[in-house]
Amino acid sequence: MNVKHCMLGVMLIIMSMVAACSEHGLVLWHAYSGDERTALEQSVARYNQRHPEAPLLAVAVPYAGMADKLASAIPHGNGPDIFIYPHDRLGDWVSAGTIEPIEFWLDDSVLQRFEPAALAAMVDRGSLWALPVAVKTAAMFYRKDHFATPPRSLAELQMQTASASPRGEYPLGYVNADLYGHAPFLHAFGGRALDDHDQLAIDSAAAVHAAQFARELVTNRTVPQNLDGPGMASLFNNGKVYAVFSGPWFVADITPGLAWGIAPMPTIDVEGKATPLQPYLGADALVMSSRAHNKAAAYAAMAELTDDDSAILRAKTARQIVPNKRAYLDPDVARDTVLAVFQAQLAHALPMPKSPTMRMIWTPYKTALAEILAGSVEPAKALRSVEHEIAGYVAHDQAGATP
Amino acid sequence: MTGRSPMRDFAIAAALTLIIATGALLAARQNALRDEQLGLATNAISLFEARQPLPTDVHITIVQTARGHADFAPRRTIPAEGNRQLGGRADAPLLDKLFYDAAGTTLRTGPYAQLLDDESGRAVATTRLSGTNEVAIALTPVGRVANFPWLQLLGALTLGGLLAAAGALLPLPARAAMLGAGIAVIAMPVLVSQQWSAAAAIGGFAAAMALLHGFGITTRWSAAMQTHRVAYRFVAPAGLAMLVLVVVPFAIGIGLGFFDHSHGTWHFVGIDNFVSILSGGGHPLSDPLNFWFILGVTVLWTAVNVFLAVGVGVGLALILSQRWMGGKKVYRMLLILPWAIPNYITALIWKGMFAGEYGAINSLLHALGLDRVSWFASWSTAFFANVATNTWLGFPFMMVVAIGALQSIPSDLYEAAAVDGASPWQRFVHITLPHLRPALGPAIALGSIWTFNMFSVIYLVSDGAPGGSTNILVTDAYRWAFERGEHYGMAAAYATLIFALLMLWTFVRGRVLRREEAV
Repeated sequence: MNVKHCMLGVMLIIMSMVAACSEHGLVLWHAYSGDERTALEQSVARYNQRHPEAPLLAVAVPYAGMADKLASAIPHGNGPDIFIYPHDRLGDWVSAGTIEPIEFWLDDSVLQRFEPAALAAMVDRGSLWALPVAVKTAAMFYRKDHFATPPRSLAELQMQTASASPRGEYPLGYVNADLYGHAPFLHAFGGRALDDHDQLAIDSAAAVHAAQFARELVTNRTVPQNLDGPGMASLFNNGKVYAVFSGPWFVADITPGLAWGIAPMPTIDVEGKATPLQPYLGADALVMSSRAHNKAAAYAAMAELTDDDSAILRAKTARQIVPNKRAYLDPDVARDTVLAVFQAQLAHALPMPKSPTMRMIWTPYKTALAEILAGSVEPAKALRSVEHEIAGYVAHDQAGATP
Repeated sequence: MTGRSPMRDFAIAAALTLIIATGALLAARQNALRDEQLGLATNAISLFEARQPLPTDVHITIVQTARGHADFAPRRTIPAEGNRQLGGRADAPLLDKLFYDAAGTTLRTGPYAQLLDDESGRAVATTRLSGTNEVAIALTPVGRVANFPWLQLLGALTLGGLLAAAGALLPLPARAAMLGAGIAVIAMPVLVSQQWSAAAAIGGFAAAMALLHGFGITTRWSAAMQTHRVAYRFVAPAGLAMLVLVVVPFAIGIGLGFFDHSHGTWHFVGIDNFVSILSGGGHPLSDPLNFWFILGVTVLWTAVNVFLAVGVGVGLALILSQRWMGGKKVYRMLLILPWAIPNYITALIWKGMFAGEYGAINSLLHALGLDRVSWFASWSTAFFANVATNTWLGFPFMMVVAIGALQSIPSDLYEAAAVDGASPWQRFVHITLPHLRPALGPAIALGSIWTFNMFSVIYLVSDGAPGGSTNILVTDAYRWAFERGEHYGMAAAYATLIFALLMLWTFVRGRVLRREEAV
């Protein structure tokens, strides 16, 4: 009976806390865990100290299924007031009326707080829908036993090919049969998956050139064919590849004790001009529900959770690549080379498209890239086929959208 | 009993009918409010454009837009209030936000009218003033929904009850007709509110109830419940769990197949999803996106895997049951290991082994002086990689079943055959195989169903490569749900078809087995 009473008591306390917060305060949903969660909760605690009259309750929700929970809860007036989610879903939520535009409240201090590329990722259909919490992009990790200074161009990297090939080694590794890995080359050649109006732009001359270039990197033994993430980490650690393109998560995959460095991605030669590789930029967006109970307070909480102090806390505690420019003036953050390099890479990163069409592109593009890299199909034919396939899905989507 | 049963049936039917009627009447009140408020707002905009006097309770605000500090954050003001700026600070009035957003939406996508979703019942309608960056916004006052028609519903319920009670005094079929009429009367307030589909549902339900009562089915159900009430009480918890965990999701899954999901909203599309799937969706038969192509791959995948799993499993079982074999327990334990490891881990290991340059299999081929193979670049090699992985996963189950069956074969049968001079092959064909069949039959049935739906191997090993040609039905259903625009309806229709195919297979197999047994 005692255990029962205790459990009942705990449940009542939790329920009353949730009820109290949902009545007078705000509710934040996030899918952070580990250090990221700790850092966020510290920011929330600081917010609650300043605003005891309207406390913010941070609720950790499993990432799998969170989008579906939001899509079903919010239209019925339930769900959180604000939530954190990768920005590439914003397009869906704008279409469905799930989220609230926030440019109305925006003042110059908030506007100038963020890197332009990170803020651009929060814009859709002429409105601002979120504030960026963290960004994720790719940069170059290299082994110091092969490069005393980081190579600035692909040509510098390829100077190692002659000595690497006979040993079955490669100067570079990246997940080349995946659009996320291939994107830096696609963008450098001027290609896109979707154009500025979210129309399909897969079957373009620039995309064909980029795919041909990727194929040549395989045939001239600069890059191994068909690498995946774990394979790339293993080859880098074993010294089979000397440099890789990857995101901040790659740090955890590097063998402790290995001498490695990090630098922005090198340039490639496009029509005689040194052009920077431009990876995708993904951002964790702090978004307001269109059914938030107190929208002005919700915005104030969003502004405070993304201010420079919170960003510095998240950068230090969780090593998040924060989009706040001033955070990198903090001595501790500035000393962190990984953070500094990723921040520098933001200058040459393109926000991942927010259109729902983008989620239809990944798998067919990946399939086409695998075939192109294997040399089993011409790039132009493969990309035309991908565009045709996705156009079919888009047509199906639009037919479904018309009752 | 005759007098009680129509009233019992009426009470049960009325309770369900009242739920439908209440839902329909609540929706009707919301619709009426929406129509009224939207009419008020759009009418005000029309009057404003025609420069005619406006209704006193609707307010029109003109908002002017100019360049702001970013493309996505223009500066908006109300000229009539001394160019008062809208927004730009966290504590700005919320009504200003409504004007700010309404002006932005109108400039971007054109005039619109909608009910606000803040539950205030207010509606907004807009128009752009020609040749300017100014937008006129009409905002209605707070709207209230009409009172819920409790009295109408209560009256209909009483009248329905009286009809059913009067019917109780009559013989069949008049009694059943009166019961149906009594239930149908509850639809009257719904009809008055013009909720046609709900009224039709209640009418259909009333007719069904009258038929069930007329044929004595409800009475039989009631009697059975009375007779076996103790048994029903014991079964109730499990029955409830089955209802919630199996029947409801299954029914919803089948129902979803008739809808399409797009950007968070659902639309009824009838059998369009099924037609689209079964007609191949406009793709030629040789296209990996055509249902019949995928079905062909799925059937081939199932047949090859089951054949290999049974072949390898039975072969190993035969070896392990030889008397001369030492260390049987160790081998048996080792051979069961692939089954004990979670299949997604095994699939990932095999995926790594088939990797291009540094995969274990290509390294082995290279060491033997052979060319490396791009396993996922052609259909046959990718299919082989999937089959190899799944055979590795599937043979231990068949082996365990076969070992059990082999141990149950009496040894005197083999001794008698040996005395008669039967060769080892003859002993295998005439003794071993017939004794394996009763055990292997259900194992093959189960194995084929598991393999038919073996999502993890296809998804994690070949991921459909090349060009989606190694997808099976269940992975293609997943792609419709999560990779092609969240068409959950298409995925549900796929699931229904998979269920129908497997049911057909189980049914045909059962018939064939029974016929063989009869022979």
